[in-house]
Amino acid sequence: MNNQNIQPINEQTGKHYRMHLMLCAGTGCVSNKSFKIKEVLEKELKKQNLQDEVLVVMTGCNGFCALGPVMVVKPDGFFYQQLQEDDIPHLVEEHFLKGRPVKKLMYTPPEEKEPIPKMMEIGFFARQRLIALKNRGLIDPENIDEYIARDGYKALAKVLTKMAPLEVIEEVKKSGLRGRGGAGFPTGLKWELCRKAKPKSKKQNTKYIICNADEGDPGAFMDRSIIESDPHGVLEGMIIGAYAIGANNGYIYIRAEYPLAMERLELAIKQAEDYGLLGENIFDTGFNFDIKIQKGAGAFVCGEETSLMASIEGRPPEPRQRPPFPAQSGLWGMPTNINNVETWATVPSIINRGAEWFASIGTEKSKGTKVFSLVGKINNTGLVEVPMGTTLREIIYDIGGGIPDGKEFKAVQTGGPSGGCIPKEMLDLPIDYERLAEVGSIMGSGGMIVLDEDSCMVDIAKYFLQFTNDESCGKCNSCREGSEALLEILDKISNGKGEEGDIEFLEELGQAIKDASLCGLGQTLPNPVLSTLRHFRDEYEQHIKHKKCPAGVCKALVQYFVDEEKCTGCMLCAKNCPQDAITGKRKEPHTIDQDKCIKCNMCYEVCKFNAIQRK
Amino acid sequence: MRNAGYSMEKIKKQRENIMNHESDIMNQKKVGAAMVVGGGIGGMQAALDLAESGIKVYLVETKPCIGGVMSQLDKTFPTNDCAMCTMAPRLVEIGRHKDIEIITLADVEDIEGQPGNFTVTLKKRPRYVDEEKCTGCALCVNNCPVRNIIYTEPEKEELKLSDEDLQRVRVIINNYKNKKGTLVPVLQDISSQYRYLPAEVLRYVADELGYPLSQVYRLATFYNAFSLEPRGKYLISICLGTACHVKGGPSIVEALGRELGIKPGETTEDMNFTLETVRCIGCCGLSPVMKINEDLYGKVTQKKVPGIINEYRTKT
Ligand SMILES: Cc1cc2nc3c(=O)[nH]c(=O)nc-3n(C[C@H](O)[C@H](O)[C@H](O)COP(=O)(O)O)c2cc1C
Ligand code: FES
Repeated sequence: MNNQNIQPINEQTGKHYRMHLMLCAGTGCVSNKSFKIKEVLEKELKKQNLQDEVLVVMTGCNGFCALGPVMVVKPDGFFYQQLQEDDIPHLVEEHFLKGRPVKKLMYTPPEEKEPIPKMMEIGFFARQRLIALKNRGLIDPENIDEYIARDGYKALAKVLTKMAPLEVIEEVKKSGLRGRGGAGFPTGLKWELCRKAKPKSKKQNTKYIICNADEGDPGAFMDRSIIESDPHGVLEGMIIGAYAIGANNGYIYIRAEYPLAMERLELAIKQAEDYGLLGENIFDTGFNFDIKIQKGAGAFVCGEETSLMASIEGRPPEPRQRPPFPAQSGLWGMPTNINNVETWATVPSIINRGAEWFASIGTEKSKGTKVFSLVGKINNTGLVEVPMGTTLREIIYDIGGGIPDGKEFKAVQTGGPSGGCIPKEMLDLPIDYERLAEVGSIMGSGGMIVLDEDSCMVDIAKYFLQFTNDESCGKCNSCREGSEALLEILDKISNGKGEEGDIEFLEELGQAIKDASLCGLGQTLPNPVLSTLRHFRDEYEQHIKHKKCPAGVCKALVQYFVDEEKCTGCMLCAKNCPQDAITGKRKEPHTIDQDKCIKCNMCYEVCKFNAIQRK
Repeated sequence: MRNAGYSMEKIKKQRENIMNHESDIMNQKKVGAAMVVGGGIGGMQAALDLAESGIKVYLVETKPCIGGVMSQLDKTFPTNDCAMCTMAPRLVEIGRHKDIEIITLADVEDIEGQPGNFTVTLKKRPRYVDEEKCTGCALCVNNCPVRNIIYTEPEKEELKLSDEDLQRVRVIINNYKNKKGTLVPVLQDISSQYRYLPAEVLRYVADELGYPLSQVYRLATFYNAFSLEPRGKYLISICLGTACHVKGGPSIVEALGRELGIKPGETTEDMNFTLETVRCIGCCGLSPVMKINEDLYGKVTQKKVPGIINEYRTKT
């Protein structure tokens, strides 16, 4: 094919619409029935005879998942949230027919009265800077023309027709882009190593490119979101990388839990093949490249690069010793370059806008932007992309809108099972690879779990240890047995059986596991314990010395009480208690029978007056 | 040396003896020889070190030859060094060392004396070969008719796959014939058809694709997405990712347990519901999250659980 085909195509159907309704079809919003909303919207538009003026577009994940299903009205940028089927007739009539935006469906920040009508005026969106997510909510991810209309595949055209492979590598190196999959290795350097690697033999001279979409960090979902909202961005990045490295085959390893993302990728690959952007002789340059999808089967360790390659080959997915690094001997023994989804998705923008532009964003050693999944005890849960060096305070308060129900912020957990907790004293910490490492955490893939006063740090550490203990592949002793031993002690502490000396033992054992493990999983598994010990030692001591869980989470150490001052005698808790452990007359304070109570937390959840206390 | 014929009791007694005679030790005449019991890699190295420091060494081994387990290994942890490359030089050195005497096919019967001067009784089993004359040329080994009995595969059990199963599995396997790295995708397809991995089907797949059954099982049990037990009509996956954990995921598991009377990993007796936990389904913004087959439920509370389950109960 030739370059002329790569031209902005104005409208999908050639028609001009007065308004575009960008309705989110990410996994979150789909679960809130956004396809049903689409159906109703189209029916109502037809009823009002607007079907030729207003078009409904299903976009990828918009990022503000907590408010789903969400819809943005273009070109004005009105933002509607939590749409229900019943709202639609009114909305269509008022806004799309009569031009009067509907306040009731707009977003009102917690503790404020006036709704904010436009998307870009909402703090959550206004303070973000989008590079990897540049097309989110703006295009239909299932339509390649819309991607092309927004300068899609322009970078590829530039690379293939005007740049030599080494120039591409030089550009990526200059941009300072570092891997977004966890370790933050400079991407350009990695490409260069693979480019220069000697082929296995004269006959077997293939090289491979892999996109790591295994997103194992529980609590991070940016890779899913990028693929669901902009699959072609990832493909374009991969094709550029393949050209720079000299690879002709690519794999995308995607986890089985993401069916929608997989579907969109398959479609995108098919469309790119139809347009001649993948396959043989791309852009008439003689360059061949194809991409296959490999589905994971639910094992965290498969995200580790050597284990991932073993999994593709059908071997037991256990990590192996490095060196040799994948760049020298990877998939089927061939030189292989593996990068994360977000890394690949950033590449086209770097080529289009130049390395200097990218390098001007961020901090000294960490360039560009990073996507974080802001979840947990926070008002605006969702995906946020901010420049490196943004402080935690900005992310949590200005973008995230603070902590719900007036509770107090306690800590934020980054880096998943390999990361650590950052306490509230460090809210002004600018986030980049180095600073996070300094405080005992890591960037990881960008999960950011906010914890409030109701979260127990011993419980969090125990949670991650349970995770890594389950997911350890069992190849090396220190990881397999070490995680078991750590978990046993944490279990003891949270059950009120902690002893003097346990803390020191945790520290010593943690260090030993770090030193002796084979792969990144084992080497980082003690981090959640060590970092909570570092910043929240007194909480451990409370558990051990006073047998108390200050946050009221560790079941063995808490009891549930009714606060007689606050209890109004509404009987809600008594009705919901699965054990019938709560008694009391209407309009009189209730009591909990401690012998019957199983500490299921139900009364605490249902009480509207905060009258249940955990002590 | 597990069957050294020397009981723990005896060793204990010996130790007591030694303790009692502590004061005598200094007066005893010491002997300039040592015995190493066990000719594995550890024993070999110990023997060499001792011999190098000028001590006469008796290296005792119960097997017909020294070398131990390491001689059966390909690579060693954690450095991936070749086992034979580590061992071979030591074997040769021990064989040649003038101060090391190897006593194979021997078990320790009794130990007497104190540190500095022990008397050990060994029981040596016969080799039936004149050790003085044998050069180890291996000619007899190769010509022994008993050793050369032909190994025959034990007869295979008949596979009990019904015609329908056979057809289904054939279709799946044919999709992947002659491709690289296909075992996991084949298992995934079987799992999505049957909703679990039936034992007979796994055996059939192993035969057809030419993998050892052990490898098939190794993969089938490694990945969380596979189950070897039949699952119920509705698979409830409850997320215990970090976001869902801090927002109360564990209490939802308990509420489901109370409602259905099963624990994670189990299936109700009527085969309607199976409860499983997953680590993040990528909808962390809606935590805690639960999935029933393909339907996703966000912001679940304990209170909502009975209602949701009843919806499916009435469907069945
Ligand atoms: C236990 C473990 C799990 C990992 N999981 C992931 C993952 O889910 N996604 C990912 O992109 N990288 C993961 N990585 C990092 C990869 O090994 C690899 O470094 C990364 O994909 C390289 O891409 P990048 O240079 O673009 O960051 C994991 C590493 C370890 C040790
Ligand atoms: S943590 Fe439950 S969906 Fe991500």
